[in-house]
Amino acid sequence: MEHVRDLNFTNDLAEIPRLAEAIKAFGEQYDLSVSDVYKVNLALDELLTNLISYAYSDGQQHLIRLHLSLVPDRLTAVLIDDGAPFDPLAEAKPAVLDGSLEERPIGGLGLHFVRTLMDAVSYQRVGPYNQLTLVKSIAAQGAI
Amino acid sequence: MDISETQQNDITLVSLTGRLDSSTSAQFEQYILTKVGGQPRLIINFSDLDYISSAGLRVLLLAAKKVKQGNGRLILCTLKEHIREVFEISGFLSILDIRPSEADALAGMEA
Repeated sequence: MEHVRDLNFTNDLAEIPRLAEAIKAFGEQYDLSVSDVYKVNLALDELLTNLISYAYSDGQQHLIRLHLSLVPDRLTAVLIDDGAPFDPLAEAKPAVLDGSLEERPIGGLGLHFVRTLMDAVSYQRVGPYNQLTLVKSIAAQGAI
Repeated sequence: MDISETQQNDITLVSLTGRLDSSTSAQFEQYILTKVGGQPRLIINFSDLDYISSAGLRVLLLAAKKVKQGNGRLILCTLKEHIREVFEISGFLSILDIRPSEADALAGMEA
C-alpha cells in the first residue's frame, strides 16, 4: 500500500510554517513517529529555505512542488523547482563541525542536516526542473 | 514564534516559544542582537521551543560569538530531545553552554 500527497509551495519564506503543518498532518495520518516527522520536516525545510532564498533572482513568484510517497518502511520526498540547474549536493562545502566557538563558521549546516537525517539524497535535472529526491527509512507504523 | 524576557538581578532570561526557522529567525536575530552588547549575562530557555532549523542555529552561533567577544556569559537550558539532537549533529554541544534546567543555568551563571 502506498500513500501519496502532493503539495505546492511558492518561493516565500512564509511557506515554511505551512510545510511544517503539512508534514505534521501527513505524519499524524499515517502514524509516523515524532522523531521521523521532525527529521523529514527539517530536511525539507532546509532545502525549501535554500530554494526560496537563492534559487530565483527574477522577483517573480515560482511554484515549488513536493511529492510525498509512503510505503510501509520508507518515506520518499521529491522536491521539484524550476530554478536554474543547481545540484545543492554537489555545490555544498562540507560543514565544519569542530573547533572552538571563535573558529566555527556561521552557516553551512542546512545540507549537513539533509545528508545526516536522510538515508539517501539524489539530484536529477529533468527538463526545465531540478528534482531532489530524499529517502528516509521509517520505523514501523500502526496505520499502514 | 514568541520571545519573552524577564530580568533577574543582572541576568536576562529569554524564553522562546514555537518554532525557530527561516520564517522567524530574522525576528529572533533582531531581538537577540540588542541583548549581546556590553558584558551580557544571558540565559535562553528552550522549554517551549518545538523546532529549530539551521536558520535558528545560525543566529544562536552569531549571538554566542558576540557574547564571548564581550566577555559575557550565555547559557541555554531545557532543550527538548529533538532540538538537542539537532545541536548534537551540528557539533554545538561542545561550543555552547547547555544546562538541563533553568535552575542549573542560573547556578551556572554564579559559578
